[in-house]
Amino acid sequence: MKKLVSALLLLVMLFSVCSFAGAETAPAYDGSDVTITFYHTMGSNLTAVLDTYIEEFNKLYPNIHVQYTAVGSYDDVRDQVSTEITVGTQPNIAYCYPDHVALYNLAKAVQTLDAYIDSTAEVTRADGTTEILGLTDEQKADFIEGYYNEGVQYGDGKMYTMPLSKSTEVLYYNKTFFEENDIAVPTTWDELEEVCAKIVEIDPMSIPLGYDSEANWFITMTEQLGTPYTSATEPHFLFDTEENREFVKRFREWYQEGYLTTQKLYGAYTSGLFTSTSEIRSYMSIGSSAGAVYQRPAKDENGNYPFEMGIATIPQANPDNRKVISQGPSLCIFKKANEQEVIASWLFVKFLTTNVEFQAEFSMASGYVPVIKSVAQNDVYADFLAKADGGNYVSALSAKVCLEQEDTYYTSPAFNGSSTARDEVAALLPACLTIPDGSDVDAEIEKLFQKAIESCEYSQ
Amino acid sequence: MVESKQQWKAWIYLAPAIVLLLIFTVWPIVNTVAMAFMEDYSGLANIGGETSFHFGFGNFTKVAQNAEFKQALTNTILLCLITVPLSTVLALLIAVALNAIKPLQKALQTIFFLPYVTNSIAIGMVFAAMFNVIGSVGTRRPLISSYGIVNDIIRFFGGNWVNWINSGSEYWANMFVLIVYIVWNALPFKILILLGGLTSINKQYYEAAKVDSTPRWRVLTSITVPLLSPMLAYVVITGFIGGFKEYTSIVGIFGESMGPVHEAHRLNTMVGLIYDSLASNNQGRASAAALILFGIILVVTLINLWVSKKRVHY
Amino acid sequence: MLLSNYVDAFTTASLGVLFKNTMIVGIVSTLLSLVITILTAFAFARLEFKGKELLFAALLATMMIPGELFTITNFATVTNLGWRNTYTVLIVPFLVSVFYIYLLRQNFLQIPNELYLAAKVDGTSDLKYLWKVMVPLSLPTLISITILKMMGAWNSYIWPRLVANDEAHRLITNGLRNAFTDTTGDVNYPVQMAAVALVSAPLFLVFVFLRKYIMSGVSRSGIKG
Repeated sequence: MKKLVSALLLLVMLFSVCSFAGAETAPAYDGSDVTITFYHTMGSNLTAVLDTYIEEFNKLYPNIHVQYTAVGSYDDVRDQVSTEITVGTQPNIAYCYPDHVALYNLAKAVQTLDAYIDSTAEVTRADGTTEILGLTDEQKADFIEGYYNEGVQYGDGKMYTMPLSKSTEVLYYNKTFFEENDIAVPTTWDELEEVCAKIVEIDPMSIPLGYDSEANWFITMTEQLGTPYTSATEPHFLFDTEENREFVKRFREWYQEGYLTTQKLYGAYTSGLFTSTSEIRSYMSIGSSAGAVYQRPAKDENGNYPFEMGIATIPQANPDNRKVISQGPSLCIFKKANEQEVIASWLFVKFLTTNVEFQAEFSMASGYVPVIKSVAQNDVYADFLAKADGGNYVSALSAKVCLEQEDTYYTSPAFNGSSTARDEVAALLPACLTIPDGSDVDAEIEKLFQKAIESCEYSQ
Repeated sequence: MVESKQQWKAWIYLAPAIVLLLIFTVWPIVNTVAMAFMEDYSGLANIGGETSFHFGFGNFTKVAQNAEFKQALTNTILLCLITVPLSTVLALLIAVALNAIKPLQKALQTIFFLPYVTNSIAIGMVFAAMFNVIGSVGTRRPLISSYGIVNDIIRFFGGNWVNWINSGSEYWANMFVLIVYIVWNALPFKILILLGGLTSINKQYYEAAKVDSTPRWRVLTSITVPLLSPMLAYVVITGFIGGFKEYTSIVGIFGESMGPVHEAHRLNTMVGLIYDSLASNNQGRASAAALILFGIILVVTLINLWVSKKRVHY
Repeated sequence: MLLSNYVDAFTTASLGVLFKNTMIVGIVSTLLSLVITILTAFAFARLEFKGKELLFAALLATMMIPGELFTITNFATVTNLGWRNTYTVLIVPFLVSVFYIYLLRQNFLQIPNELYLAAKVDGTSDLKYLWKVMVPLSLPTLISITILKMMGAWNSYIWPRLVANDEAHRLITNGLRNAFTDTTGDVNYPVQMAAVALVSAPLFLVFVFLRKYIMSGVSRSGIKG
């Protein structure tokens, strides 16, 4: 018996030693002089904020020199980095969306962060204080869960990215009109249908709702209904299902009825329809939370807004399973021969994503929302939120709504081909909506779904 | 002796061009050809240590079997066959007119060069706005915010508005807009070249024709066209080569979905297919599509060269 | 909003650098390109050598493959040559244009052969003949090529962004495009395209301004005898 126990113990010990050796452990920063490069898309108002905080960072780590380049748009960053990977000159840190990381992952160029996040190695800063290399439990808990989890959407359970600043979709509505006519803001799609019918009755020249992004609409519906869209592992493309065709068919009915439109269907930005002062207009608009100022109507000659704007969470399919999309840039770190460069990059990424003051200032300057909860307690940011209204401070109002729905964010699986799937459903949804009356709607929808799947699979 | 001297002299003249072409054009082409025969090749995956590709014709069959291939080929050929002759004839007439008319010449020249100075996607978007109908076209309760300038003009003269590029639009309407745009976009370069050629023609020919009181169209066909034939040949041959590579004009007008809302990809072209493959990180397939396109252009160019050899007078 | 971005772009301190870079690249690449084009077109139009037809056909064939496929290979080449973030990388790779060689060759072919043979008899060297006779007679075409090449330098942005996007070498189109990118990097196509169009505006003004000179340069007396 004793022998058995000791044998077991030995086995357990052996096992733990093995697993310890198997897990990557991150060595600590040794204070060496390194230069790290950072590709982003910031405009000059945001690089000013970044400059300030690089200075702050350098007070703690004077030997880590951060060199950034404003590359252009998100797509420009992707093209630049993926080209540079082919010759091995990629930067240390880059702005990223999940599909970019999936692309870089083909070359196995992105550093997984688990070992860094979990590291308890102590790092001494220039001011004599210390911090652990990884994230403390408080820091981990401070991240808004949906944003943090975007980093592990790659099918292997590993963490590849850290969220920097985020946006989502919100429902903008004409508060003045809703109050005048005693209409309640819809919280579900069923309620939305009723509201649309009511609005059309009141104002027959209106298209009640404009939805800006067809792709987000489709993907969010699958998420809300819990139906398949894509998977990070094969088979990737799963969206051709009965339930998905069903909701598309329902929306087609609404579109034909004149209840709603999208950017592609309308032929122009739906925010233009929402802020329109001509006869044809909408009373609701679903668009990016970072674009609140574009949804606000222009002031009239007396300096007043023609109507007050309200912002709410987008309609849901199931009130117990509320879902809204998470968008906006994350940061990824690239593998490098010099280990110290990677550690220095991690320290900088950690600084940007967990520093309350930076997150607050960056959010106010960009219109995006912070990724950590404690920013709401920051004095400056709290003042900003307190001003929220449907006129001059719509950005604050939008941020407030985003922070209130922090438990609802989702991100889709990322893999090489996920952006193709997104493009395909962006074309699929409006194509289905335009199927004219009198044709075999079910058959046409089935055909279009099949075609979209074929296109996705061809790209593999 | 003299001949061999000319031989090496010619190569000295050619050397700078050849060296640069070898490095920056031929070498990439060699790579393109090689990749076309590597099935499932992806440059990034290759760096990641994924070297499971194998050699064969798989990329070519994949491209040819693509559901969009036939449509893309048809669109490309159709656009090319219509726009190249049309823009050449128009450019010739405009160049001749510009050369003859003195008043307004400056203003007209400026107008015709406008499309050339800027990006074709940018102008495409402006162009699209002129044909764009904003509203809920084709629903049970159609509400139209704006018909677009072109339809406004049609309606002003009592005609019915046309759905040019929006949801439910017909293929021919889409093609019409594209053809107008491509021709207009191709004009300035052709006019520039032909105008240069025209000013090089000796005025004596025209004076002789004047003395004989030859009718205008005869002057055009018997004097201008033959004397301009080297430049015309150049414009036609390079026009076809460029025409088969049509892509940006469609992105400008229809966006990257390459078609109207109800039928994305409907207006895709061969170069569009290449871009799609590049975007999904499929360099092998993109290269195969490029070689297929190369084959087509080569045949057309050889025919063009053969015709021009018979018709062009230097 | 658009206008204010444009004003911003023009008032930022780096505009001088952007402009200087663009002028350097534009002028140097146009001059070198003209020299190479003239030499090559002359060889194809006047000199006799083995495989001339075949070589010319091969040159034309290089135009038939979409250039986008060359990007990755060329990127690797210039990186290996150590040319990243230099003026060289913005100038050298695109010096040779078959498009212009072909154009100039057509023009050279129109110049009567008798002039060349007469010059030969007089013992004029090829280079001197090329410079004294053929170039002046082809001035209209050479001016066209100059305009087109300068426009190309001004409007190009994909390659320059990829290989030399540092402050010291950035060209004007990329500088202005960056100024128009949304603060957060979402691609706003209308704004960005409007930006590209606006970038071209000064070039258009230059054209209008120089048009008189360009066109008078074009209208020399006939070549064809």
